[in-house]
Amino acid sequence: MTTKQDTPVETMPYTEPSGLEKLHERLTETGLTKAGVYGALAVFLVWTLFPVYWLVTATLKTRETLLSFPPQWIPVDAQFANFARLFAERPEFVTFITNSVIVTVVTTVIATTIGAMAAYAFVTFDYPYNLDFHLPFYILSTRFMPPIVTIIPLFVIFRGFGLVNTLRGLILVYTMFNIPFAVWMMKGFFEEVPESLIESAMIDGHTHLGAFFKIVLPLVKPGLIASAIFTTIITWNELLFAVILAQSSQAITVPVGLASFVTKFSVQWINMSVAATIALVPVLLFAFMARQQLVRGFSMGAVGK
Amino acid sequence: MATDTDGETVTSEVAQFSTDTSSREEVLLWVDDHLKWLMTIPAVLILFSLTFYPLLRALQFSTQSYLPTGTVFVGIENYVQLLSDGAFINSLVVTAKFVGIAVTLEFILGFAMALVLNKKIKVRGLWQTLILIPMILSPTVIGLIWRLMYAPNGLLDYIAAPLTGGANVGWISETSVALYSVILTDIWQWTPLVVLVLFAGLQSVPDDISEAAIMDGASRRQRFMDITLPYLKSLIVLILIIRLVDALRVFAKVFILTRGGPSDATNVISMEMYRTAFRFNNFGEASAMAVSLLVLVLILAMSFVNIANVEFGS
Repeated sequence: MTTKQDTPVETMPYTEPSGLEKLHERLTETGLTKAGVYGALAVFLVWTLFPVYWLVTATLKTRETLLSFPPQWIPVDAQFANFARLFAERPEFVTFITNSVIVTVVTTVIATTIGAMAAYAFVTFDYPYNLDFHLPFYILSTRFMPPIVTIIPLFVIFRGFGLVNTLRGLILVYTMFNIPFAVWMMKGFFEEVPESLIESAMIDGHTHLGAFFKIVLPLVKPGLIASAIFTTIITWNELLFAVILAQSSQAITVPVGLASFVTKFSVQWINMSVAATIALVPVLLFAFMARQQLVRGFSMGAVGK
Repeated sequence: MATDTDGETVTSEVAQFSTDTSSREEVLLWVDDHLKWLMTIPAVLILFSLTFYPLLRALQFSTQSYLPTGTVFVGIENYVQLLSDGAFINSLVVTAKFVGIAVTLEFILGFAMALVLNKKIKVRGLWQTLILIPMILSPTVIGLIWRLMYAPNGLLDYIAAPLTGGANVGWISETSVALYSVILTDIWQWTPLVVLVLFAGLQSVPDDISEAAIMDGASRRQRFMDITLPYLKSLIVLILIIRLVDALRVFAKVFILTRGGPSDATNVISMEMYRTAFRFNNFGEASAMAVSLLVLVLILAMSFVNIANVEFGS
């Protein structure tokens, strides 16, 4: 942009640039701003990534080298046995992982399906009282409510139905959590699908429901993948509801298990680092596979939490 | 159900013209007739029963007192109680500090970074993927990462040693420091979001407007104030609301790092609510806090939208 600035100057009315602008142009000419921009980016990236590096490398250290002074920047004598020791000392961690996987997979499938169906209906059908316009807004508004506001009544209601300490209870809550995002994400995608496509599918003998599953859903696959990934990450990460609704080991998920490594007075540093790294890896893999959709999803402001 | 209809396509075509429609066929036709309700009812039902209904119950709980013998209706007594509850007032102040400082710094740092990057960096790049990482991590894991960095004799004590003369700072154990340490983790996690959103916004400012302004002799500052800012206005409002609403509900980071301590220095409102309800079993007062928090969020979000409209002019 700054290079274009030089050309029109001679022909157009032009006010004298301020001292600051002159300095900026001088810097541009010598290539210094470019270096400055990349320098700033480098600092920002190191600041953002180093803490994660620090956790992951902690899994390969001993208790002594982990908190040595001065710090050991790169682990020497990598302790891979740390991974085996976590499962030897805390065998229940396997159950936590299994629980988290079950809850995450089932929630993702249900929330994405229900969300996509609702979004399609709002886009396609006309509802009385303008509901096809108002209902999506009500659905979205639930996202602005702090989840802790409903947690006490939910706990009481769930206790009444015997849903506390069950995976079913967690799945139900997380589905509720993720539907608004799925609806809003999918709505945009369904709006792009031409109506004539569905009509011709129905003339070909499909039921409307059949046309939805067979013709429409494959067309909006990128949207489905994006909402599934957001749902997966949010569900896998959630702590607040899990801490309150799942206190016994048959329903404890990974985040609650992680919290148990840390008490007010002591921390099991190595086990904690290993467990946290195990919790972090699937999220990183998912994010890397879907980086395009994630960047777009986050940039759109469609932020999932 | 998708595969069912799939296999049945050929037969159903025949069946539609034959006189005796099977009961299966009738079911499918009935489903199609009521599709517009069948497709929305699951979502609406789940949201109503798990958000709006509990909300009403929270209102009801907040007017009750929980005794070992049962519940008693006490009217607004729980709310009156809150006003004289030092721990609750303190948690409001702590939350206000947390939200105010964290969101302000995230916005300033993020906007500055987006402006710097907008100059010379290619539109899409590896850097965008890399800065996603803090955003997608579990706040629990983030709490643990920073717990490690804040450990006594840990990495940050080493880095700060030249300033402190080797003494441990007590990042999360010193009353005057702990809140800022928690705020730092939030800034670490969410500044990248501000960068990502505002960078996308800056990239969408059309070049030709800006070029025309250059020809008219508009200075860099004028161009920023008259073209870039109005263009980004709605995005700025959006990102601030998202961060504001989200920072107000902070829980996991505090839970992992400090549990609200030392001496309530980091006791944010959700932590106080958690303790009141599930440590002291005072569901009535905790529900009153929940309702107050909801009202606060609504007022903040709405007044924010109004202020934004007045200031920038919609």
